Amino acid sequence: MRYIDPHIHCSSRTTDDYERMAEAGIVAVIEPAFWLGQPRSNAGSYHDYFSSLVGFERFRAAQFGIKHYCTIGLNAKEANNERLAEEVLDMLPLFLAKENVVAVGEIGFDDMTAAEERALRVQLDLAKELDLPVMIHTPHRNKKRGTYRSMDIIEEHGVAPHMVVIDHNNEETAKEVLDRGYWAAFTIYPKTKMGNQRMVEIVKQYGSDRIIVDSSADWGISDPLAVTKTASLMLSQGIADEDVQLTCYKNAIDAYNQSGQFNEADWLEPTPIDEQKLFEGNSVLRGQRPDSPPSQENEIIS
Amino acid sequence: MLFENRDKTPPTPAKLLRGWLEPIVADAPLAWLDDRIAAVAAGDESALYLGFGFAPRKVGKQPLELSALQLKLAQEARSGWDPSRWSVGQAARTLLLLSIPHEDPEPYFGRLEKLFNAAELNESVALFQALPLLPHPELLVDRAIDGLRTNVKFIFAAIAHHNPFPEENFSEAAWNQMVLKALFIGAELDPMVGIDRRVNRALAEMLIDYAHERRAAARPIPAELWRMVGPFADETAMEDMAAIFASGTEVEQAAIALALAASATDEADNILRTRPQVASQLNQGKLTWSGVCAAAYAN
Repeated sequence: MRYIDPHIHCSSRTTDDYERMAEAGIVAVIEPAFWLGQPRSNAGSYHDYFSSLVGFERFRAAQFGIKHYCTIGLNAKEANNERLAEEVLDMLPLFLAKENVVAVGEIGFDDMTAAEERALRVQLDLAKELDLPVMIHTPHRNKKRGTYRSMDIIEEHGVAPHMVVIDHNNEETAKEVLDRGYWAAFTIYPKTKMGNQRMVEIVKQYGSDRIIVDSSADWGISDPLAVTKTASLMLSQGIADEDVQLTCYKNAIDAYNQSGQFNEADWLEPTPIDEQKLFEGNSVLRGQRPDSPPSQENEIIS
Repeated sequence: MLFENRDKTPPTPAKLLRGWLEPIVADAPLAWLDDRIAAVAAGDESALYLGFGFAPRKVGKQPLELSALQLKLAQEARSGWDPSRWSVGQAARTLLLLSIPHEDPEPYFGRLEKLFNAAELNESVALFQALPLLPHPELLVDRAIDGLRTNVKFIFAAIAHHNPFPEENFSEAAWNQMVLKALFIGAELDPMVGIDRRVNRALAEMLIDYAHERRAAARPIPAELWRMVGPFADETAMEDMAAIFASGTEVEQAAIALALAASATDEADNILRTRPQVASQLNQGKLTWSGVCAAAYAN
């Protein structure tokens, strides 16, 4: 089976992770712009981060046969630094038109402040103007209210629910999000978000329509194989293959390809203009492809 | 296109690019592009940044597939310009770049800087491959040199290969670093425009040291390296070449034979004579640096 992790912060992960993900069947990832675990002190650092999401990280993933996409946006935490926020909001048009950008995100609420709300509104308008999907981060604290409030604001701005993925759902938020017509993503992340056994129960209860599984693996204790492990658990507990494919692969394509930038063909049949084949197909990654066998304790380093 | 050109001056690259898109891009996206070109020419910055990003998804990402005649016209419009590997989207992006107002160098340069600093991978390729067409090349030399510091080989190749910009604009030191880095990261030398015209002693000396160091570590030496060394081969180089000529692979022997011929000394002749078969291939013109490059990088 093929899998997609539609929410993972690859920049914080190692090449070993990429190797294991590729081995486990993950063919494409989406890396939403987020904070670094500590707040950025200036807009330049944001600029270079965006630039690496559309540039070097995409190249790094490609070396492992994984297609890398991203979402661009100002996250809620850093929206509270208003001077920084203004500069970052001004910078967004420079990056939203990039080839691998599949949505505006992750945006939404953290503390539910006025500054967060302003950044959310500006970015919803941008998404609407550029006809891009939106990835909504829902808060850890006060999750239910934050989620509902986000949806109210989205509807106020006239952004269609089918263009929006509400992420980090749980048993408390799932029904309302689905009933209102949104894509509902669930993050399998130890301790703070969902566990995969709980995820199996969600799929048993709600089926596979518009439900998406992701890892949100980042710099914290998290698991880049959360999607594939959840898929295995679903299969072992009698969930149909088709439902596993929808929740762990296909729904993410349908949601994010509304940008026109997340085509299955990109990884199933790469075009001659694909970065791995540029310049007369002379395998430009020669020598940079990880071709060594898994490392061993006594390996000779040559 | 040829027939419209009554005054016999070669058409500009922008005219050629626009003409090539005409038959292969549908009306609506072409109208979109013309509109963006006009907006960029009128000084609209956001039209430039968004248009540059959106161009390939609007007009298409497929290869341009230019004919031999079209490539000849490209050479006439701008000597050394080789768009044979360009895509449709890249052509559209280049048209937008060529529309940026450039009478006042400062804002012109500012816009290009903004594009370079925010570029994703394919945009970087389009920007670097457009360098030989852009006005004020002197402002862009540092950017090209900086671009070569990349880890991404196909961006390196966008600057170093099939691009007349480095030969025309790089100092000897910058040129030499480009060649050295190419050998380091396994990028070919043969596609570099001016590779033989810009050989120099300082480069040869660095490469002789490098080759010697590689031999000492029992690591392979890129066969194309000897192309830069031949005309300046010293005693160390002769020793290394003799040793590789004696025990190297077929490609290495061909490269050494070519380098020895370029060094044109009695000692070189003596080494060549140790392998009469290779020497005879050399004399019959069967060995070429392009052939060495192709064989060395064949998968």
